[in-house]
Amino acid sequence: MADETIATVKPGTDGAAANPLRAGLAADRITSPCSVVFFGASGDLFKRMLLPAIYSMRLRGTLPTDFALVGFARTPFDDAGFREYCRQQLDLFMPDGKKPEGAMWDDFARRISYIAADFKETRDFVALKERLEQNDRELGTGGNHLFYLSTPPPVFPEIIKQLKAAGLDKDPTGWTRIVVEKPFGTDLASARTLQAAIEAVFPEREIYRIDHYLGKEPVQDIIALRFANTIFEPIWNRNYVASVQITSAESLGVEERGGYYDHAGALRDMIQNHVINLLALVAMEAPISSDADDIRTEKYKVLSAIAPPVHADVWSMSARGQYGAGTIDGRAVKAYRQEQDVAPDSNTETFAAIKLYVENWRWAGVPFFLRSGKRLPRKVAEIAVTFKPIPHRFYGDSTDRIEPNVLVIKIEPDEGISMRFEAKVPGPKDHVRSVYMDFNYGTGFGVQSPPAYERLIGDAMLGDQTLFTRWDAVERAWEVVTPILEVWQNTKDFSFPNYAAGSQGPESAKQLFADWRHL
Amino acid sequence: MTVDIPAILEQLAQSHRRRGSDAGVATMTIVVFFDNEAIGELARDRIRMLSSKHPSRVIVLDATAPETAHHIEGGDWIDVGVRGCGPEMLRSAVDALRLRDAPVVLLWIARDIGSDPRFAALCDEAATVVYNSSLLDGGHDALRELARHVERHPGLEIADIAYLRLAPWQESIALLFDGTALPELADVRSVEVACGSEPEALYLLGWLASRLDWTPGEGGDLRDRTGHSIAFALERASEPRRIARVVLRSSRSTFVAELDDGGETIALSVSGPNAREARHRTIQNPGIAALVERAILWAGDDRVFRAALGAAGTILARRAR
Repeated sequence: MADETIATVKPGTDGAAANPLRAGLAADRITSPCSVVFFGASGDLFKRMLLPAIYSMRLRGTLPTDFALVGFARTPFDDAGFREYCRQQLDLFMPDGKKPEGAMWDDFARRISYIAADFKETRDFVALKERLEQNDRELGTGGNHLFYLSTPPPVFPEIIKQLKAAGLDKDPTGWTRIVVEKPFGTDLASARTLQAAIEAVFPEREIYRIDHYLGKEPVQDIIALRFANTIFEPIWNRNYVASVQITSAESLGVEERGGYYDHAGALRDMIQNHVINLLALVAMEAPISSDADDIRTEKYKVLSAIAPPVHADVWSMSARGQYGAGTIDGRAVKAYRQEQDVAPDSNTETFAAIKLYVENWRWAGVPFFLRSGKRLPRKVAEIAVTFKPIPHRFYGDSTDRIEPNVLVIKIEPDEGISMRFEAKVPGPKDHVRSVYMDFNYGTGFGVQSPPAYERLIGDAMLGDQTLFTRWDAVERAWEVVTPILEVWQNTKDFSFPNYAAGSQGPESAKQLFADWRHL
Repeated sequence: MTVDIPAILEQLAQSHRRRGSDAGVATMTIVVFFDNEAIGELARDRIRMLSSKHPSRVIVLDATAPETAHHIEGGDWIDVGVRGCGPEMLRSAVDALRLRDAPVVLLWIARDIGSDPRFAALCDEAATVVYNSSLLDGGHDALRELARHVERHPGLEIADIAYLRLAPWQESIALLFDGTALPELADVRSVEVACGSEPEALYLLGWLASRLDWTPGEGGDLRDRTGHSIAFALERASEPRRIARVVLRSSRSTFVAELDDGGETIALSVSGPNAREARHRTIQNPGIAALVERAILWAGDDRVFRAALGAAGTILARRAR
């Protein structure tokens, strides 16, 4: 009665023998059994993002049934205390108010444990090893271990060293993977140092450098838009595209992150990772397959085609700003230098804009404008591809302005795609005006996209590195921004603050974008 | 009997003009046919949920209302009475009212399939057909007819909601045999399925049979590749369309997947050499809209479904002898 084609199931990617009942059950992404260890489990990222993501996966059925969560941090909890802490945080931070309760929570809770630890103590990592072995025996986690570094970055090298010392860098029966939160270094040198520490213990195929932007649905849709359609790719080049602008703007200030941000700034915090990753997706060539490394190789090739600006050109290719006091949404907000944990004479930029060129056959001469800033009028992340103007004008009233077509990929807060084109105004005269064709995920598909962390944690459990950044791309992104960082760091900007909170950013940025007509 | 298509199209155009500049996005035309008054509102309600997620033109063919009754809602919802309309009239109405460049999905909510020429006519217009063998019939007649029809029309892209509802159970049963318990899958000696209606239970049995190469034996049992007998029992329990329990016994172990009291999780337990503490999986009872969505997105070329349906049909045919 069996269909030979489907009854023959290939062995699982993790080497497990094939279970014939699993054929065709691929509609939902179910990962293999595993323990996930969260280093820094008493921190903000864990309670606000990671724990709710994991529990949502449990409720959606995308978490493996044989699963264990181990918290590893300095805060003194025992297992029961940490379970209760997790329940309380889920009460506060689960989306849609889903409460941890019932048989589902009971089953999840018994899979949670905690190790109160000092990251410098090998004996605490040995205790972790024993706990993971216990999970493998009692909870069926199969020797598969995912280590999630959600501590402050300076601790990363120590954790990695201790994992090796405790023999946790590999397991003879299962897989071992490590997720590294951003920022990956604070400059090129520190990124290389961190990479050296990681690669001394883990091979690249086991390293998952997370950039949660890449887990957002509209970011993934860039690939679908470009390569699942035939109408865009033929015009996706220097012959038709005038410019590309990638914007990640926030209306928020630095909130409680002043201490971190004042040492980072907008270029490090956003442009070097999130925004450059978007550039790579927009500009890359079609990969030969959907294999993670084929896609990541194309992304790297784009970044390697960007010539980092020489120091002398930095000012003509970049603009920086720092917000002063102003008004947003009718509310007065204070200046950056008055924020908590920020130096009163800080030289840190809260706005960064750079112009880059991808020097290859497809994109030669097309400027890519990247900008990111805090305390701008509204939160918006989008990619705007502006096409060249019509070559010859014969239609329309002479007073009409014929605008170039613009394709906008909206990432947040709206998620979707819009296209601006010219259309005739009804009536006897030949007036034209711009109209917008708008596709919105919210109304288009009527559902909220799953949170980025859910997607990315699931991918790490599945061993799919597509949405994680490979080291060569991280390194290249640092190489691209390093000259700008160096010049900015070595030049005190006496005009700071140079834009009011709630404004569009500094005048110098407007100059940089002067030729860009989508603003 | 004729449907006044020009009048409907004019009403549709007026509706679009009234809506002004609303941007339109459409993924498909959903055609819903039903001939049972009791099911009409439920069907409309579920399709509203589906079309709010997947923007669509919806054509409701209401075979309980006269052909003079039609109305337009919200720009892309067309409700048409088709009582007494023949197959050609239905096909023509759908052809005129559908979106030109989007696929047509037919939701057939009526008992007869092969014996109803209206079904064949509408299938000609549809890229995907969605049926629900357990909606109108708690017994197995609809499933038997579906199995026959699919056998006769191998090219028809069809999905059955009753089968799609099994997904969390299939996943759970597969999970019971992952790892060290896998060899016991070749040693299963009996299967018990407790369910509120027959189609789901038969599908589950058909799925197991097709996956594990079991064939009906002469004594009303099943036989594995080596000729060993596998007893099976289908028990009525729980609410219609819900599976309550599945028990598989090998010569050494018992594998149980059972709905918990709250109905939200499946408890998995194993006794015997591979015994282990009970585990729980979320059941996530998807609504009919979510199941139809799944049918549209994934069921197009679902060979596992076709094999399960074929096996269930074979088991039913053997039982009828």
